[in-house]
Amino acid sequence: MISKASDFFLAFVGGVLLSLMLYLSSILASDTSAIYSSWVAHGLGAIVAICITAIVSLLMSKKAKTKETKKFPLWLYLGGIPGAFTVLLAAININGSQSVSGTIAFALFGQIVFGVASDQYGILGIPRRKIRPVDFAVVGCVLLGSLLIIYGRAGL
Amino acid sequence: MSAFFLLAIVQGFVIGISRTFYGRLSENIGPFKASVSAHIVGFVFLTIAIPLVGEKFLYVGLTLPGYAYLGGVFGAFFVVVSSYVFPRIGAMNAALFVISGQMITAVFLDWHRYDVTPDLIRWIGICIILLGIYLSRFKASEEPKETQNECDNIELTR
Repeated sequence: MISKASDFFLAFVGGVLLSLMLYLSSILASDTSAIYSSWVAHGLGAIVAICITAIVSLLMSKKAKTKETKKFPLWLYLGGIPGAFTVLLAAININGSQSVSGTIAFALFGQIVFGVASDQYGILGIPRRKIRPVDFAVVGCVLLGSLLIIYGRAGL
Repeated sequence: MSAFFLLAIVQGFVIGISRTFYGRLSENIGPFKASVSAHIVGFVFLTIAIPLVGEKFLYVGLTLPGYAYLGGVFGAFFVVVSSYVFPRIGAMNAALFVISGQMITAVFLDWHRYDVTPDLIRWIGICIILLGIYLSRFKASEEPKETQNECDNIELTR
């Protein structure tokens, strides 16, 4: 698969969208609960996702798109469970921990470590990718920058 | 290290696992249907989980602004975008770029919501993340060439 600069840009845009989602959900969670807020977000998200899928398939139907469908493991459909489980873990953590900044920082660290390990060992059947020396510099920058942002806020 | 920090690392792993699921699903059924599936399955899971953890579905007398309920709109697009890019740029880059976008946006949202003007530390943080993105561009420009060459070779040998 050829990765283009636009793919990296899109991933960054994904982060912007995620932040906006968490921002709105956290307002809802402040007067309800984290799990309820995530339940609402998943429900509305499902409706919106169905709508955009319908719109896209309508737009695409003009072009012939007879893609041969390969067989794939059906457990891939269960991705929503770890996705939703994240909310539970986050709720336990934020309610129980003394340091919100610390838990956010460790969660970022966990994501990056898992990403590096996934590429290195092909975890859950993804193609392996070689980690280059420059990648460690990128990891270092993103992690250090994120820590400064998290603790910059905490210091106020 | 406190147990909560360990739990936070596990949380990071679980986030990574879910993105791998979405990414692989997207390769098979496309990112839009992957987003539909992710939300429906997550919704069913949470519908079962809410009574189990002793929370409730109905809140009376909330005075929240309407937009507080609209997080899912961004969530739907987020899963489309992140599951589309995942197989294309790899797990590590997906994590790094999503985190970069998330952290930088968070600074501006804090500024907007809590009127927290970013201090020097936060500006330095943003600059360091942007430096990381700049560094990774070197790789981004290298990688397509190699892949392209491989493709050319395959074409030639055919």
